[in-house]
Amino acid sequence: MSAVIEIAKLTKTFGPVRALDEFDMTVQPGEIAAFLGPNGAGKSTTIRVLLGLLRADSGSVSLLGGDPWHDAVDLHQRLVYVPGDVHLWPTLTGGEAIDVLHRLRSHVSVTRRDELIERFELDPSKKGRTYSTGNRQKVALVAALSADVELYVLDEPTAGLDPLMEQVFQDCIRELRDQGRTVLLSSHILAEVEKLCDTVTIIRNGRNVQSGRLDELRHLTRSRVVATTRHDASALAGLAGVHDLEVVDGEVSFRLDREHTGPVMKALADLDLVTVTSNPPSLEELFLRQYAGEATGEAVSR
Amino acid sequence: MRQYAGFWALLRLALRRDRVKLPVWLLSIAVMASYFANALQVAYPEKEDLKAIADFMDSPAGTVMSGPGFGWDDPNHATAFAGAYALYLYLGAAFLTVLLVGRHTRVEEEAGRLEMVRAAAVGRHAPLAVTAVLTVGASLLLGVLSAIFILPADYGVGGSWLFGASMTMVALVFGAIALVTAQLSGHSRTATGMASLAIGSAVAIRGAGDVLADQGSWLSWFSPFAWAQQTRVFYDGRWWPLLLGVAAAGALFAVASRLQARRDLGAGLLATRPGNAAAMPALRGPLALALRLERTSLVVWAAVLLVLGALYGGLTDSVQSSLADLDNQMVIDAMGGDPTRMVDGYLATCALFNAYVVLCYAIVALHRLSVEERDGRAGSSLAAAVSRPRWLLAGLGAALVGTVVALLAAGVGMGATAALVTGEGGHFWDVVLGTLFYLPAIAVLLGIGVVGFGIAPGWLNGVWLVAGYAMVVGYLGFALDLPDPLVDVSPLSHVAQVPLETQSALPLVVLTLVAAALVAAGTARFRTRDLTAG
Repeated sequence: MSAVIEIAKLTKTFGPVRALDEFDMTVQPGEIAAFLGPNGAGKSTTIRVLLGLLRADSGSVSLLGGDPWHDAVDLHQRLVYVPGDVHLWPTLTGGEAIDVLHRLRSHVSVTRRDELIERFELDPSKKGRTYSTGNRQKVALVAALSADVELYVLDEPTAGLDPLMEQVFQDCIRELRDQGRTVLLSSHILAEVEKLCDTVTIIRNGRNVQSGRLDELRHLTRSRVVATTRHDASALAGLAGVHDLEVVDGEVSFRLDREHTGPVMKALADLDLVTVTSNPPSLEELFLRQYAGEATGEAVSR
Repeated sequence: MRQYAGFWALLRLALRRDRVKLPVWLLSIAVMASYFANALQVAYPEKEDLKAIADFMDSPAGTVMSGPGFGWDDPNHATAFAGAYALYLYLGAAFLTVLLVGRHTRVEEEAGRLEMVRAAAVGRHAPLAVTAVLTVGASLLLGVLSAIFILPADYGVGGSWLFGASMTMVALVFGAIALVTAQLSGHSRTATGMASLAIGSAVAIRGAGDVLADQGSWLSWFSPFAWAQQTRVFYDGRWWPLLLGVAAAGALFAVASRLQARRDLGAGLLATRPGNAAAMPALRGPLALALRLERTSLVVWAAVLLVLGALYGGLTDSVQSSLADLDNQMVIDAMGGDPTRMVDGYLATCALFNAYVVLCYAIVALHRLSVEERDGRAGSSLAAAVSRPRWLLAGLGAALVGTVVALLAAGVGMGATAALVTGEGGHFWDVVLGTLFYLPAIAVLLGIGVVGFGIAPGWLNGVWLVAGYAMVVGYLGFALDLPDPLVDVSPLSHVAQVPLETQSALPLVVLTLVAAALVAAGTARFRTRDLTAG
């Protein structure tokens, strides 16, 4: 089966600004793909190119096997989109807005609509202008999630939701995964991404700086181990796979490569181990490492 | 046809969103047409009565304000209606479609709603096509309603339909212009502003062109309003000038469609420039902020008024020479008694006309208050160490400063060219002062706006009704033969027609005090009400 999203060497400039610079990304069918990056990195631009709202300057973009610019209408029948900043028609109610968006595509379930309105605790009879940010987002989410399509493109869909509603959102995404749907999720909430996503693409300055399966990416980084031992642990510094070792008052902390976990733990035990905690590399760590990179350099050049 | 997918669903959405606004607009204009047509017959039952307005309308001042006018030498109610009032109905038609197109194109795009719509199974050209169809439909409906509403006035069936068709044509052309400007700028305010500027320019070009030669000159033909007037409705009606409008609208629709196909969603063809990375030291406090926000708009309005004034001032010479060989004593009497006074009458009327434009600017500037509140920015200011009166007075202050600048621009533009072409330096000061005298009257109207805003942000709109009334009374009051109290209630009625008349100090002082009282009342009310957003 061919990829749902296949982007190669995509470049898009706005005047002198290079928003996307030979950007690559692939999303396979059935994947929940996270799309991460700092503000202004090019996430929304990429999504807008995928939706055929912006025309690519160069590079190739394939969406559901078609060309997003030329086959926009047919492709849009097979996907839904939730923007990060939802704006509704001020004089239409939330329910009306959902129906209007539904009538612009074909595969929609009315029972699913009503079920989602209930799950998201949305009052569909209020006018668009009276909704809060979070409630506008719920309107867009209900409209999108009640559509029966292959691909769900979600651009920071939970930014305005409370934790309870975010839980509902995560349940919905898991249901989509169980049904084999594909989701492209752009988000800043790393805990959410860690819970939901199979793959991660990190974009910075319009370039793909890291991509792959989340568990594979974790292999690339090191766990953080903190332990208390009765004997001096300084000698561990010489072991393979141990980095940045520090010993303070009998407490030792270091970073550990995954493949060396066994021998190092054994050595630790031999030092008369009292306590030990080992934290897997968090996405946040991964993320900060990629984000921070040349950030200072950019600030100067601007 | 995939490019037009979703057309019907979007059309239904557009009609749903406009189910109140559009019918109100259509009916208001049609009722206005019907009112003018009937009021004229009540105010001037006999042909002899019509002679009085005919003489004024046939003079250069009347021509600038209403159009070439056909049949003024032997006027009847039908030709008087077409000559004196039709232009204002055409203006209404133009604004109807400009605002209609604005709220269905750039406003949707700027707010991000079009992005959500286009992400559905909607063809690239469908949204624009819906707006075009809506514009054509509204224009046709406006024409039909206008024709039907003036049929009872008994001006002739054929002429009434020609008038309706002229309304349709004007609405169509300016709607098409707005559709093009919507592609040019990424900001809805700028796009609608450019289209409004096109309306203003078309009025000015027509005014200048019509003064240059009796019944319109070559210059007039550059204005879509002239195409409508040159149908000579109710005189010897001819349909062919409407074809110009239809052709222009068709061409503009095509241009808009081509421009739209070439650009990205959300982008304009006119690039936005980067600005300062830090605020200037002077940008401190609510008044400085309000003035800064007003700056661009004021520069554009002032430039337009300067050009408009210069255009009218520059015609003083030809007004003078056309009056020199005038032998109609009645016209001369109507304008003040001797030919030199007639130039003064012309300048005074043009100053009033400029004051109307400035009044519109002033109200638009005051509207920043309600826009800031609705978008939540007022909340940001008021959450800082800024009191409500200070914030409101800052907004009003910026509008007043803008009003002074705009009046000066209009006065200097007209005074300078009038003095230049006639060689009489005295005209300059007459015109500049005569224009500035409108400041207290405009301040009173702004005061009414502040009272409305004090009640609720939406009530600020009420000032448009009062201003519309004041403008109709100020310009057409004498023609409608209104009783004195109805005329005197308008603040504009208390400003002298300088240089034709001399301005006494008392009315200006009273107007200023009234304005201050209104502002105080509105500010007090604003302190006690809830903020609606932010």
